[in-house]
Amino acid sequence: MDIKHYNQKPVRNAKFITAPNVLKAKVGVGGLSDTILDRAQKLLENHTEDFRPLAEIYIKQMKEGIDAAKNLGQPTASEEHIARILFPCVQLKANGGMFHYPLITRIAERFVQFMEVVEKLDEETLEIAAAFHTTIKIVVASQIKGDGGEQGESLVEELNGACMRYFEKHKDEIATKG
Amino acid sequence: MGYNLQNIQVLLVEDNQPMMNLIKGILLSFGVGNVITALDGDEGFKEFCLFNPDLVITDWMMAPCDGLTLSRKIRTDPKSPNKYVPIILMTGFSEKQRVISARDEGVTEFLVKPFNTRDLYRRLYKIIEAPRQYVSTPEYFGPDRRRKRKDYYDGPKRRSTDIQGDDDMYSDANPGDIDGIDFR
Repeated sequence: MDIKHYNQKPVRNAKFITAPNVLKAKVGVGGLSDTILDRAQKLLENHTEDFRPLAEIYIKQMKEGIDAAKNLGQPTASEEHIARILFPCVQLKANGGMFHYPLITRIAERFVQFMEVVEKLDEETLEIAAAFHTTIKIVVASQIKGDGGEQGESLVEELNGACMRYFEKHKDEIATKG
Repeated sequence: MGYNLQNIQVLLVEDNQPMMNLIKGILLSFGVGNVITALDGDEGFKEFCLFNPDLVITDWMMAPCDGLTLSRKIRTDPKSPNKYVPIILMTGFSEKQRVISARDEGVTEFLVKPFNTRDLYRRLYKIIEAPRQYVSTPEYFGPDRRRKRKDYYDGPKRRSTDIQGDDDMYSDANPGDIDGIDFR
């Protein structure tokens, strides 16, 4: 008798497969040298692709998402409405840092984290979304590359402050949900 | 002696043209011989069937067909020429629940944007040197989702092929690792 599964038939019938490691057979051993990695990193740091046309598309989409939720005239937890604001912001977060705008990544990341917690759009959350949107728009329009220095720090602090005030005001509601 | 990537073919699926140019440039400077490109998951799957590349690197959020759908098609569509191909999913999301949903669609590695060249290389290295087993159940087909970092050997490295200074790849001290998906 096979005692592996006592006297029962396994329910899940998982089959484990070791696939041939084609890549390893093709590339050999030893990894990539620091010289190659440094050269690739330089390419990333010195490229001249213009981020602004792309950023403006996402900024516009984010604004349209905010306006669409506002036009409902009532709070919503609809995934579709949240996604229309959140997804362009995720794109700004993802792309900013790779196109010399790490401040956009930092600001957009704060908004993504805010939305992951509130998961609801109402007058107050939309005001916060609008504040993030306006700030990102200013950073792009003013071409504030890099971390933005003291000005960048102060913008992030302002937005963080707005989020913290929201959480403080709604702490009972958020605690219940958690 | 190092990797020779000249003989490998990578499918890069990205709807954002400047980002595609950038990643393609990085791959070429790594020495990758051929980078095939596509602008969304549908086009990506067509190219995948046509060229049967050795690796797929795809963005998540694309329209009309996103990176998760592409991953699922590669793993399960009868037309797929290689359902075992490693897939790296790139995204701006890093939240646990979203990472888990990506893992459940058969993604091999997860790469959070923005990233640097060493982040990308780390995923590539892991795919080459520590490939996952595949699991086939009635509900799921894809890389084993249960791989933990403790599976790795963490003693001293003595082989000439070991990369010095890359011990952090196998460190246990990575709170971001969910069941084998590293999303640093």
